[in-house]
Amino acid sequence: MNGEPIKLFVAKKIVTMDPATPTATAIAVQGDRIVGIGDSEDPELRKAAQIDDRFSQHILLPGFVEAHAHVMSGGLWEFPYVGFYERVDPTGRIWKGCGDIESVVERLVEYEEQMGDPTQTLIAWGLDPIFLEGDRLSASHLDQVSRTRPIFVFHASGHLATVNSEMMLKSGIDRHSPTPGVVRDGDGEPNGELQEPAAMSLALEGLSSIGKAIMSTEAKWNFGYEARNCGVTTVADLGTTRLALEGQLEAWREVTDEKNYPVRVVVAFGHYDSGASPTDIDALAGLAVRLRNEEETAKLRFGIVKLILDGSIQGFTARLSPPHYFDPPAGHQGNGLWLIPPEQMPKIVASYHKAGLTVHCHCNGDEASEVFIEAVEKALAEHPRDDHRHTVQHSQLTTAKQYKKMASLGMNANIFSNHIFYWGDQHAEITVGPHRAASMDACATAERENVKFSIHSDAPITPMSQLHTIWCAVNRQTASGKILGPGERIGIHKALEASTIDAAHQLRLDDEIGSLQVGKLADFTVLEADPYEVKPDKLKEIPVWGTVVGGVVHQAASD
Amino acid sequence: MSLSQAAIEVTVVGGYLGAGKTTLMNHILTESKDPVAVLINDFGDINIDSELIQSVDGNSIALTNGCICCSLVDGYVSALEELRCREPRPKRIIVEASGVADPASVAAYGHAPGFYLNAVVVMVDGANVMEQLNDSLVAQTVAVQIATADLIALNKKDLLSDFTTVRNELKKLNAEALITDCTNSEIDLDLLFGSEVVTKAAVSVEMNQFDSRSHTSSDPISRQALTEWIERLPDEVQRAKGVLRLDEEPEIPMVFQLVGRRWNLRALAERKNPPLGNQIVVVGPKGLVPEDWDVGLR
Repeated sequence: MNGEPIKLFVAKKIVTMDPATPTATAIAVQGDRIVGIGDSEDPELRKAAQIDDRFSQHILLPGFVEAHAHVMSGGLWEFPYVGFYERVDPTGRIWKGCGDIESVVERLVEYEEQMGDPTQTLIAWGLDPIFLEGDRLSASHLDQVSRTRPIFVFHASGHLATVNSEMMLKSGIDRHSPTPGVVRDGDGEPNGELQEPAAMSLALEGLSSIGKAIMSTEAKWNFGYEARNCGVTTVADLGTTRLALEGQLEAWREVTDEKNYPVRVVVAFGHYDSGASPTDIDALAGLAVRLRNEEETAKLRFGIVKLILDGSIQGFTARLSPPHYFDPPAGHQGNGLWLIPPEQMPKIVASYHKAGLTVHCHCNGDEASEVFIEAVEKALAEHPRDDHRHTVQHSQLTTAKQYKKMASLGMNANIFSNHIFYWGDQHAEITVGPHRAASMDACATAERENVKFSIHSDAPITPMSQLHTIWCAVNRQTASGKILGPGERIGIHKALEASTIDAAHQLRLDDEIGSLQVGKLADFTVLEADPYEVKPDKLKEIPVWGTVVGGVVHQAASD
Repeated sequence: MSLSQAAIEVTVVGGYLGAGKTTLMNHILTESKDPVAVLINDFGDINIDSELIQSVDGNSIALTNGCICCSLVDGYVSALEELRCREPRPKRIIVEASGVADPASVAAYGHAPGFYLNAVVVMVDGANVMEQLNDSLVAQTVAVQIATADLIALNKKDLLSDFTTVRNELKKLNAEALITDCTNSEIDLDLLFGSEVVTKAAVSVEMNQFDSRSHTSSDPISRQALTEWIERLPDEVQRAKGVLRLDEEPEIPMVFQLVGRRWNLRALAERKNPPLGNQIVVVGPKGLVPEDWDVGLR
């Protein structure tokens, strides 16, 4: 670092998240580190520095940290998007939402016309029938797109796909197919909808193309571009990458070593996707520790272990305490599903805890939060350890009492604030009812109970856009415009802390990122308006100019 | 018996944590008369005698008795596909569902082209099941598993103080499944897999505790005749399986499975080299299967 030139970025305003120097107008960077911060006219700062004033009309913040997303989000952009909500792709192109089946078909026809090889399979993603009125998408709609090439439309839930007649023919799906989940019309003919993995896997070509795309090098690049486009400088791939698969660690290394790669990535270690035996948890923990100790680089980080304990609320598979679901579909069993036997949790958590790792556990329902919190409590009783930062992920229904307990145990939360906008109306009307929905994703309660928390998108489940997530936490406005539980709204400063220093904290990176202080990494989010000055309901409309990561400037792509 | 030369038989083993699934896998590996492939979640659990291990290759272990043990680390589709392409191809696969899985979601993979489903067996921890069914955290998971079963194996019988209460509770959750009891997961494999042999003539085949009788015929059967035959089937017939043709669509081979009073009839997804005519085997306690069991099918 010494000897490298010092660059002084001058900005309209710099928000530091450092209470000692909350704002500034200039920040000096040498190599990838911050070496000075203060007033742009300060002669000490200007001395011997190259002045870079390209941000003189911009607002700089500590780089946003998205602590829960999946590299799959980048991989899916290999295929056209047909979801209900608008999305921006890694190149900055805006994909308008498809509000009905006609526009889904229209988009696919348009895409199909540009495809060369007439036998090549057309894959699309993002369809969510919950938002589309009228008929469900079926093979007959997709046959309007093509009768010669197989078509596979992967739904947003990840549990369903719809295929055309050619794909059914190629995959041997017909009226006699015995596999449950092959949906039939009134005459007993399959209508193209395939429910759940076993049925989807009949159209193996479609499903495996998606699997391949998710693991590809392009997926990793696109994930980085998506992050950059929304001002994120550190993103967690929370348990998508199978690190034990040959080549995956090397592929991440290769991509993140590139100077142009615009984001730091924390690749979490997935408990069940490790290639080693899940009963020998101590061996798994050893593998995760080795990654953290030996394989980290400037833009590739480890040390987080991801567990998945329950399902999703909108899929009625999250584990809720009584009275469970509000208006579940006919035949529903009452409560959701465990993905790990609750009795096993203490042993699993204790193994990773003892090894010095930080456990991030997916808990959508409050019953899942409870099981995880109890497991952490037991692990701490047996192996006292300061500053573990074990984190409840999603934490959508975590109660005040649970947050109080989490605070006493030193736990963190990462709250799925985007749900309020994307599914808030469905939560109030169908899944958990208006009363429970009002206290979902309870950022203000977490704040009151002194739990450090972050807020996230879970991309690709919802689009990555930290300003949108901040807007959700601050406004709690649903897609239909209702305010869901105004008492759980938080202020803009808290939302920004949750998106910077507190998110860095739960990834154990707050000594390097999350605030702008001398000695820390030069990671900035560059905005075109001041989030403290715009009206709260306009937060998501602030244009993102781009980012600076380790002193390297990355401009967001625009349409 | 092999219902189809072209397709592999799939049996799913479910049950909550600690019920004895892995012990059953071990039992099958050592007791099966034919080479089988078992798919398990985790090699760490399975305790294979080192003298039995012929070779270890990535995600699979080959045993000297011809059996194969494969890990499910890459998922069901990839594990099943690997076995389908293997030479020699196993005739029978036993798949372990995870302790919290609904075995039905795993059984669904057993209907893909190249496979057919034998049965879902659910292991029940006799010593703890009543407690589990009263524990709000796990009651639903355990109850759904039991309700999904074709064959319920009430395990750890030796640790069970009130057998009748537990059995009645299981009956309440699943009235039709066959309930068998065992210790150390030692289920009679004849009951689990049905008889191994179909002979040309309807003769009795010697088994350990069971008799097996078989029926072969060539003319398609009407759905009504089949249903009536099943309804009149004596209670002693605990297990029946076969492949047959219905007169409504004689070109489609149908797989028939009956365990206890649960039965189903599904098209065979594999269309290459389909079995011809009707072949049905029944299994019941020694000396108790009546001679005229197949009258309704003749």
